[in-house]
Amino acid sequence: MNRTNNFISKIIFIIFLSFVITQIPDISYSVEPDEILNNQNYELRARNISKNIRCVVCQNQSIDESNAPLAKDLRILIRNKIKEGRNDEEIYEFLTDRYGDFILLKPDINLNTFVLWFLPFCFLIFGIGIVIYHNKKSQ
Amino acid sequence: MQKKIPIFPLIVFFFILSVFFYLLIVDRNPSELPSNLINKNIPTFEAKSLISGKKFISTKEFKGETILVNFFATWCKPCRDEHDFLKKISDKKKVKIIGINYKDSSKKTVIWLKNLGNPYSDVLVDKKGRIAIEWGVYGIPETFVVNSNGIIKYRHVGAITGKIYKKISLIIDKNE
Repeated sequence: MNRTNNFISKIIFIIFLSFVITQIPDISYSVEPDEILNNQNYELRARNISKNIRCVVCQNQSIDESNAPLAKDLRILIRNKIKEGRNDEEIYEFLTDRYGDFILLKPDINLNTFVLWFLPFCFLIFGIGIVIYHNKKSQ
Repeated sequence: MQKKIPIFPLIVFFFILSVFFYLLIVDRNPSELPSNLINKNIPTFEAKSLISGKKFISTKEFKGETILVNFFATWCKPCRDEHDFLKKISDKKKVKIIGINYKDSSKKTVIWLKNLGNPYSDVLVDKKGRIAIEWGVYGIPETFVVNSNGIIKYRHVGAITGKIYKKISLIIDKNE
């Protein structure tokens, strides 16, 4: 009895561990030493923007994670813009003007993306409605 | 007791099914990249001309005629593939083609154009790829059709093929 208990707790522990391990975020990034700015505030801003910008050639990575040449060019461009004194919004605008909303990993809420953002909530409310309706009916 | 068939979920199921089926058979290319520059003014930029060595200022050059803009490099194989089509366009359509030489060696480009023929009215140097970013370029080759008012009418990502050549010819004819 004790042995089976031990075995079960071991299995539970392994399952737990595997969940924890898979949940650890991937912290790799591709910023190269020669790109990093001396001003820490500037660098932090550049890193934050880079994390939100899609690498358009690899599509499911941000330019912060990608080592594609275009991603590197964009990282340098963002840093140059920060050094020129542009604010974050101006930099996002510069990029979306040229590459469209597609370059943002998290698209803005606007008329075109409205459905994308709110349809899941509509489905949720709809689903809850159905459940309530059925519960009432079966009572 | 006979069980009632749930009608409503069935309708929803068939609706979703038909949407998926429609998207499956309809002619579309999900890997096609969206462009934000169609029907917009060309970006302003300055560059050095590889041919004349002079400064090229976009606001002065894109005026009064339809112009093709082609991003290329000697290290890019598809660029070599589309070269004949570019020559055909410049010969037959009598439109100016401005080549933007992307991250390339000027020396190699001059030799390349000598060997393969030069369809370009001007070749501009883009050593760092900054002009390409201004144009929202993903990767070369990429071709834009700019109308006489300096507005981008068409963009093609990738090498020009027979099909694309026909498409570009039609757009040039329409904008003349």
